[in-house]
Amino acid sequence: MNRKLLHTPEGVRDLYGLECSDRILIRSLINAKMKSYGFEDIDTPTFEFFDIYSTEISNNSARELYKFFDKDGNTMVLRPDFTPSVARCVSKYFLEDNKPVRFCYDGKTFLNTHSLQGKLKENNEIGAELMNDDSIYADAEMIALLVESLQAVGLTEFQISIGDADYYNGICEEAGISAETEAEIREQITNRNTFAADLIMEENNISDKYRQLIKSVSTCIGDASILEKAGSIVTNDRSQNSIKRLQALYKVLCSYKIEKYISFDLGMLSKFNYYTGVMFHAYTYGVGDAIAKGGRYDNLLEGFGKSAPAIGFMINVDDVMRALYSQHIKLEHEDGVVVLSFTDDDFEATLAEAQKLREGGKKVILSKK
Amino acid sequence: MNKQDRYLTFALGKGRLVNNTMELLEKCGIHCEEVTDKSTRKLIFTNEELKLKFFLAKGPDVPTYVEHGAADIGIVGKDTIMEENRSVYEVLDLGFGKCRMCVCGPESARELLNHHEMIRVASKYPNIARDYFYNRKNQTVDIIKLNGSVELGPIVNLSDVIVDIVETGSTLRENGLTVLEEICPLSARVIVNQVSMQMESARIQKLINDMKENL
Repeated sequence: MNRKLLHTPEGVRDLYGLECSDRILIRSLINAKMKSYGFEDIDTPTFEFFDIYSTEISNNSARELYKFFDKDGNTMVLRPDFTPSVARCVSKYFLEDNKPVRFCYDGKTFLNTHSLQGKLKENNEIGAELMNDDSIYADAEMIALLVESLQAVGLTEFQISIGDADYYNGICEEAGISAETEAEIREQITNRNTFAADLIMEENNISDKYRQLIKSVSTCIGDASILEKAGSIVTNDRSQNSIKRLQALYKVLCSYKIEKYISFDLGMLSKFNYYTGVMFHAYTYGVGDAIAKGGRYDNLLEGFGKSAPAIGFMINVDDVMRALYSQHIKLEHEDGVVVLSFTDDDFEATLAEAQKLREGGKKVILSKK
Repeated sequence: MNKQDRYLTFALGKGRLVNNTMELLEKCGIHCEEVTDKSTRKLIFTNEELKLKFFLAKGPDVPTYVEHGAADIGIVGKDTIMEENRSVYEVLDLGFGKCRMCVCGPESARELLNHHEMIRVASKYPNIARDYFYNRKNQTVDIIKLNGSVELGPIVNLSDVIVDIVETGSTLRENGLTVLEEICPLSARVIVNQVSMQMESARIQKLINDMKENL
């Protein structure tokens, strides 16, 4: 045997036995939750034209895509994310009558991330998309669905952090900051690097008032009480509207009785302007990054010729498993396997017994003595 | 796991930053004398009263520990943060450990930096060097990774220039080299894991504010 071929490439792995059953169980538990909210299954191709992803992805992260060519020389990409594919599919078939459309997906995504950082290149994602509904009730439904999905797999200590880039955008707009400078500042705010953001603003002669306001954005993390404070220090409509919307959203979330999982973070900004309104991340102990991410992306479908509001989220199943294992949360599986041993003489009788047990839903292994 | 029982873990970059950092933490009322005790062979130090843990790690590893959540908070030089480019929050400039990232070489190499011709650059910081030459200067360069005594590069003709940290410039002068271009100023920074920032937001923000006030 060629022993060199026994290990997998970097960033992918085998999954078997209990771990594999755990993953299947997690997926079915979350899928059942999504179904209970009326979401329908959708599956899109594993690879698509590069252009499907080009609108949402900057040059830098385009390097992280797995790319190859088809026979005609078109650039193909292994999907790094389901949302653009779902958006393409939905805008093609489902948006004739402007009714809300609910879809959930479950599958693998691929990112050629840097080597030696301990990150998987193949990830299992489960997600849901709600299109054609721009109300806060849609926002709340998605956040509640995320909370219930995480509860369904047994997580109890987690936090959903909600932000809205419009608060920050409103301040930048009022201050008259150019798009280029704004992008530079945004990168620093996303990293919570207030002093670097301040330095950029100083170089660009932005007035002290706005410097203070923008700096305060990155530290606006906490429970619903921060919204009032954040709302009171801004005067422009765009920022105030975003705060009002978040407050209204919080009220609806209270009706769902999930307020103990909710916190707000106005410094949560997306790097590529992909999200257009509310954004949310789910965090828990034992994983270094968010285990689920989502938000509103009202402009994405427009790229496929059909303008419609949309909101969605995805849960990284591999991260959820890591969180469960590190928090010592056990998933409840059905009974274990029954082993029946037989000899040449009593095979027929043992087989009959095994078949009977199997029909009754038991797992049976026949093993020769 | 109860929230109150959870330890916050600090990863500190080994070397000259450690003493400054511990002095600052002392001023904030956080004591852990063991960390600066050279004779101990312990790897991890605990402050039971405040539920804090500390460990020392090689500089470039600090952002890695923090990114994965193995440490909640890290203290490390800006040079390392730039070179490693991990997704962590960079929340505070501590102001000590000040120095500069520079392009250095013999005076004769200055001319080479004004053209777009290919030059050879030796550095311990290949990512910073690449970013500077490709994205800021748009110059084609051949980057040679070295692990120490980078000043040797131009002297033994391995490279035309080097990209390295300059503190006083005395090593450069002794070897006939000089600062040709400054890339950016550097100092010690506090970095925080993204999840910790959300899950332990109150405790961490208090720590950061305490540190800020005692700078």
